[in-house]
Parts: sequence; structure tokens; C-alpha cells
Amino acid sequence: MTAYILRRILYLIPTFFGATFLAFLIIQLAPGDYLTQLELDPKVTPETIARLRSQFGLDRPIHEQYLLWMHNLLHLNLGYSFAYQAPVLDVIWPRVVNSMVIVVPSTLLLFLVAIPVGVYGALRQYSVGDRVISFLAYIGLAIPNFFLALIFMYLILQVYFRTGVMVFPVSGMTSSGFEQFDSWKKILDIAWHAVIPIIVVTTSDIAGFSRVMRGQMLEVLSQDYIRTARAKGLAERVVVYKHALRNAVIPFVANIGGILPGLISGAGLVEVVMAWPGITPLLLDSLQQQDLYMVAGFLTIGLVLLMVGNLLSDLLLTWVDPRIRYE
Amino acid sequence: MRRALAALVGFIALAGVASAQPFVWPQKWTVAKPSEVKRGGTIREAVISDYRTFNPFITAEAGNVPSLLAGPIGLVRRDPTTGDWIPYMAESWSVSPNKLEITFKIRRGMKWSDGQPITADDWIMTWRIHTDKAVGSNSYDSFFIDGKPITLRKIDDYTIRFIYPKTDAEAFAVASFAPWPAHIFGPVYQREGAEGIKKMWTLNEKPENIVSGGPWLIESYRPGERLVLKRNPAFGEWNKDEAGNPLPYLDRREIRIVKDTNAQLAEFLAGNIDLMAPATVDHISQIRQAIQQGRLDATIKVNASPVASSQFMVFNWNKASDPFKQSLFRSDKFRRAMSHIVNRQAVIDIVYGGLGTPMYSSVYPVLTQWVNPKVPKYEYNLQQAAKLLAELGFTKKDRDGYLVDSKGRRLEFNLSTNAGNVQREQIAKLIVDEAKKVGVKVNFTAIDFNTLVGQLLSSGPDRPFDAIIIGLTGGGLDWPFGSNVVPCKGNLHMWNKSGQCLDPRETQLDALYSRGRTELDFKKRVEIGYRMQEIEAQLLPVIYIAGPNYHPAWNNRLGGEHPDAIISSIWGQRQLELTFIKK
Repeated sequence: MTAYILRRILYLIPTFFGATFLAFLIIQLAPGDYLTQLELDPKVTPETIARLRSQFGLDRPIHEQYLLWMHNLLHLNLGYSFAYQAPVLDVIWPRVVNSMVIVVPSTLLLFLVAIPVGVYGALRQYSVGDRVISFLAYIGLAIPNFFLALIFMYLILQVYFRTGVMVFPVSGMTSSGFEQFDSWKKILDIAWHAVIPIIVVTTSDIAGFSRVMRGQMLEVLSQDYIRTARAKGLAERVVVYKHALRNAVIPFVANIGGILPGLISGAGLVEVVMAWPGITPLLLDSLQQQDLYMVAGFLTIGLVLLMVGNLLSDLLLTWVDPRIRYE
Repeated sequence: MRRALAALVGFIALAGVASAQPFVWPQKWTVAKPSEVKRGGTIREAVISDYRTFNPFITAEAGNVPSLLAGPIGLVRRDPTTGDWIPYMAESWSVSPNKLEITFKIRRGMKWSDGQPITADDWIMTWRIHTDKAVGSNSYDSFFIDGKPITLRKIDDYTIRFIYPKTDAEAFAVASFAPWPAHIFGPVYQREGAEGIKKMWTLNEKPENIVSGGPWLIESYRPGERLVLKRNPAFGEWNKDEAGNPLPYLDRREIRIVKDTNAQLAEFLAGNIDLMAPATVDHISQIRQAIQQGRLDATIKVNASPVASSQFMVFNWNKASDPFKQSLFRSDKFRRAMSHIVNRQAVIDIVYGGLGTPMYSSVYPVLTQWVNPKVPKYEYNLQQAAKLLAELGFTKKDRDGYLVDSKGRRLEFNLSTNAGNVQREQIAKLIVDEAKKVGVKVNFTAIDFNTLVGQLLSSGPDRPFDAIIIGLTGGGLDWPFGSNVVPCKGNLHMWNKSGQCLDPRETQLDALYSRGRTELDFKKRVEIGYRMQEIEAQLLPVIYIAGPNYHPAWNNRLGGEHPDAIISSIWGQRQLELTFIKK
């Protein structure tokens, strides 16, 4: 087992270099650079732009820039953001934490809701309950997150106009005057603000996830060994939860690797629409401005987490699926 | 007697301290009388993009934190009612006979928020750091005229002299920069140089370490979310209203970062933010509706003024690889015909929902003092366009209905603008349609902004585009012509980047530009500006189209806005220092 883990870690090294180089190259292939925006400013001279370009190292060949960046990376330095004039990690970290306020609860909620819903749909296939859930799931899948967020904002405003009560905040993460609150009130305030974004993010995920769970469960339930288990006279509860469910969740365990980078990659456009100070708006700005090291640095963190996550899910697989052995 | 004398001495000493002559904010800058004003409270604002740094020397974005903290501070400032420069942190100034030196007497008794006095050293240090190439300050270029440096000299603690390499219409604009505390930045600069400066006042700096001379201090900042500013009491000691009350009236400014304008609108409609400048017809009508239905107690000034920016179509004069197109684009007759096909009213109606202003010259329509009303306008007129094109030899049409010349060459060009700018894309489509009506084939493509800029600013005899729709901002009140735009060697001389003037009228404009920039008399400068607009109208280096208008809105819990006459895209809707919370 140890040998297997060591081997896997060795494999990760070329993957890491390949992936980072590709990311770096693709960002650089986009036309222009961080300073192109300045070029249309009538007050800035071309000499100034050329000087800044050389200060930022943007005038050097791409491979040189990559090697320099890699050198810093190996010293655990993700680089410097052009726009913020600060280390990338310092800029990214507080925003990742903000995103986690949405992402962590919604991930938990996803598993807590989607798995039972999927199992229910499989056990009561074509029942009224299954049809209602399927219908809702298709709606959930069809509505893009950002649009759902806009609908919620509209509804909140309409309720406010009619009753004068702000059921949930229209947008943002904290209320005006937040800094003066005591710590309990601060936590409650953030929670109050997080409700709608969490619901928005989770609904569409639940929709997709529960459909897959239902399909998996149906497939497993039609297997021979389930018939055998039932024939042995096992209780239905044991058949379903011990034999069927354990096998049905294997594909999800294999995908757990994706959850780790998912934790830092933010809640998506909901953050932009609802003015949640997460990582997505920051990253969009960086992409737009071609803030090279910000984008590259963020991709690198995601990449490392994805690699670690994949390793973890492979190890978890041996635990849920006795058929898998790495010896 | 002795005691009386001591008291008298005490009184004189006290008077010495308090002799700081305050700057009195004129009543005419606000609609509110000092008697109706209330102190305290918080104004709530929203901005689209996040803040990047607290450091005044490396900040680059518009509306950055240092500029918020500094507010209007500078030796001089403008009076919004007249546009004139008036003394502010300076008590007075004198101009040398050769007009190359301006000596400012600095107001005494002003203090930084940490209690240190504000003196000439602060300006000297700020200027030094801004002009250090290694720092990379965005203000660097503003301290040079034609590449020659402007120098500052300290005469004594309260006297400072600006020495200009040539007479400069923008001399006071240069002197209006905000000073920063030399006692904070100086020691670091001496010890560690530019690198030390760059590391200072990042977003992670504790708010209490940020020293300001302006109206505001940082209370707190939550990344990507909210900046809270609080009143700087030291500013109130020398800034008073006409009743002698210290300014600003407000205790706090809460500025939320709301990237999505729909969310901004929702917050404004819900009464959660106080200021808004809606840019689209849809947003304007939602605000109006909410006000009319009594759901929102707010004011909106629709069409308060045009915005301070230009929008135009530029033809490329440098197409050595295609002599036919090159001679076409260099012909003023052709460009005049193209101006006649731009349906500016349709642009305003369709793109800006009727809330826009047509443009005919490089001077933004909002700069009313500068706009020459007598300049000929080549307005939408397809017959005139067809006539001009016929004079160029395009009389016949081919099978597809497009004009061709005697050699059978079709009148056709490519037009592009930056993808994602929906309004410019709509303008381009309108131009394509109108051009087709007179038989000109225009092929429109929207391309990536950076690619577009690369094409536009490329130089040499053969450049890779036909025509581009783009806009510029940043023209000043002192001299509204761009130093990079008008001179033939300018980097933004985007129609002709061969590096030399090709048309005698370009040479004329180039010369007039320099004359105006060095003319100190405002009236004479305006005359030069008028003359330049006349030549521009003949030459039509670019074809101006139309732009949106400025529509400020505010929640009625705020008082102290500008009188209607000075609400504009240049002066804004209010002085925040004179703004107060009514209820």
C-alpha cells in the first residue's frame, strides 16, 4: 500500500509540470496583457507602459516567465498580483474563506438531501412521489444558477414592497453596521445572508446528483446478488442499505476527488449576482484584466487539490469496495 | 497685571494655533442651508469593482481608496460653479513674470489625521515618490510636459514653488495633486527606496496605520465586500461651512462592492444604498416607477448632462498593402460621406433608449465652455452621402447592389469593435444597415478588446484594420484636447500612425495643440480650441457618433446635493463633504 502511494505521488510530478505549463501557456496565448487596458488612456505615455511591462517581466519570452514562476512556486511563492501589487495568496485566501461559507454547507446539504431523494426515487420508481421529485429535478437542472438568484432577488423585493419586511437580504454577505455587532450577531447575520445563495447553489446540484443516485440505485437493485440476498430472506432494510446502497455509492466515492478543489473554486456566478465577496468575482476580474499570476496561481492551487483529492478517493475506494486492491 | 499679561500671552499663543484660516465651503455648492443641516449618520454607496490597495503611489484603478481618503485635497481645487481654480490648501499663489514658476503659500494649521502638521515637505516627498520610475506610479506622466520634468522646490515650511519647463495650460491641474504624509513615507523611502514604498499600505495594513489629510479615514475593510470610511476630525479643523461648522457632516461612508448592476439596482430600490447612476433605460424606468408608485422615496435627474467621453468610428490611413482603400480612407470627401450615413438620432433612440447626445467634435458635449457651436455638422443625410461618393467616382452599382468605381472596384470595408460592448455592437449594426442603403458594403465583426487595441495602436505604413468603433475618456477642463491624440506622433493618433503628418490640416492641428497647451489665458485658449474644432470638422480625422447621458439618482434621506445647474457628469450630483442625512 505504501509503495502504491509513493508511486502515485511520483506520477503526480510530471502531471503537475505538464498541467501548470499548459495553464500558463493558454493564459499567455490570449491577445494582449495586463497593460493593454492602459494603452487607451490618453494620459499614459507609451514609454511608461513599456517601463511597466519590463518591471512586470511581461516583455520576456514565455518560457523564461514560466521558469521564473516555477522557481518561485517551488519556494511556495505563488507570485505577485499585478492589479493588487500583493502576493497572490494574500489576495485569494480571504475570498476563498468567504466562498466556503456557501460551498461547505451546500456540499453537506447536497449529500444529505440528494442521496435519500435518489434512493427514494429508486425504491418507489414511478410512484407519485418519484414523479413529483423527477419533475422538480428537471426544473432544477434547467434553470441556470444566476437566473435563479435573480428570481429570488425579485421575489424578495416584491415581498418587501408589499409588506415592508425584508425576509432575506437582497445581496451581500453582511449587513450595514456589521463591524459594530457582537460575535453572535455577526454569525447570525452571515447565516441570514447565506441562506439564499446556499439554496440557489444546492438546488441545481441536488437535481443532477439525485438523478444519478436514482439511476445507480436502480441498476444495483436489479443485480443478481440483490435477488440472492432477498432469497436468503434478509430484511428489506438490510438489502437496501447494506447491499445495494453501499455498491451504488461507489461512483460517488470515486468522484470525491473533485470535491476538494470544488471547495476553493467558489459558488460560481451566484457570487457575482448576489454580491457575495467570494472567489468567483475576483477570478473573473483577474481573467478580464489578464492578471497573469493571479489566474495561474489560483489554477495551481486547484490543480494540487485535485491531485490530492484523486489520490484520497482512490484510497477511499479500497475501503468501500473490497474488490479493489492496490497490492 | 502680571496675571492679565500671562492671560494675554496665553491668548496670543492660542490665537497663533487657531489662526489657521479655515477654508469656507461656499453656500452656492449645495442646495441646503447651514440651518437645515444635521450632523452624523452614514451614507451607503455601492461600487462595481473591488479595491486593490491603500497605497497612493501604486494605485491604478478609478475611484481607488487613496483618492477617496484624500477627497478634494490639493494646493488648489476647482469651483464647480465656475470651473475656475481656487486656492485650497494654499492660501494664495503668485506667478513669476515669465509664467514658468508658481509659488504657493501653504495654509497654516492643517494637520494629518495623526496630528502632525501638513507642510511643504509633504508635497516634496509625494512628488519625489510619484516621479521615481521604480515605484511605477500612475501619476508619473502628469509631472512631465513633453518629456521634460516639472520640479518642486521647498522655499520654507509653508511656501512651495512649482517650476515648469514651459508655460502650461494645465499648470494648476498639476499642482492640485493630493499630498501624502512625508513623516510616514519619507523614512521608508530613504531606507528601502521604491521597493519599500511598494510594500506599504497594502489591503492587509491595519486601518489605524493609514494616515490621511483628507475628509475620510479607513474604519474597516472586508475584502471584496465593504469599505467603511469615517470622518477625519483633523480635516474639519480647517474645512467649515458658512456657519462655521466643521465638515464633513457625515460620520461614515459605507461603500459596498456590488459587481452586478442589477444587484445594485435592487439594493437601491430596496433603500439599502443611497446613490446610484443608472446607465440603462431599463434601470432608469424601474427607478422612476418605484418613485411614482411610492415604493421608494428618491430623486432621479434624467438627462442631467452628457457623459464626459467620446465615441467614434476611425478609418485607417496606413494601408500600404491596399492602395485603393488607403486612398479612400485618406479622402476627406469619403469620411464626410461616412459621417452622413451615421444616423445619430437612431443610435440615441435605439441604443440609449432616447437618453443620449449626438457628437460632432472631439470636445465632449458636456464641456459646454469649449464646444464651438458654429462648427459645421455632417448630419445623417443619405442623399448627400451618395452625392459625395459619386464625386469620388462611385456611380454604378454591381449585381449585389453595391457601388463600384470605373474599374469595377467595390466600395467595401471591414468594421470592428470590442466584443461584449453591446452598445457599440448595436451602433455598428446600425452603420452597416445605413451604409447598405447607399451601396456601401460594411463587414462588421466584434473582436476581443485587447486584439482591437493592438490593431488600433499598431504603427507603420501598413496597419491591420479598416475601421474601428471605439471611445476615449479623460479630456480635461483646462485643455480638452489629448496630448497623445492630436499630435501626429501621438500614440493615440489612431487614424494615422505613420509617425508623421500626412494632411496639412494635421500639421495645423498639431501646431495649434502646442499653442493652446502653452497658452495661459483661458479666453485665448478657448479661441484656439474653437479654431481646432473648425479644422477638425473639415478634416474629420474620426467620425463622432453619440454617447449616453448621465442620470444621477439618490435616496431622499440625503440632503445637500448640488444645485441643478452644476449637476453634471463632471461635477457629479453632490459634494460628499456637504452631504447630510435628513432623516
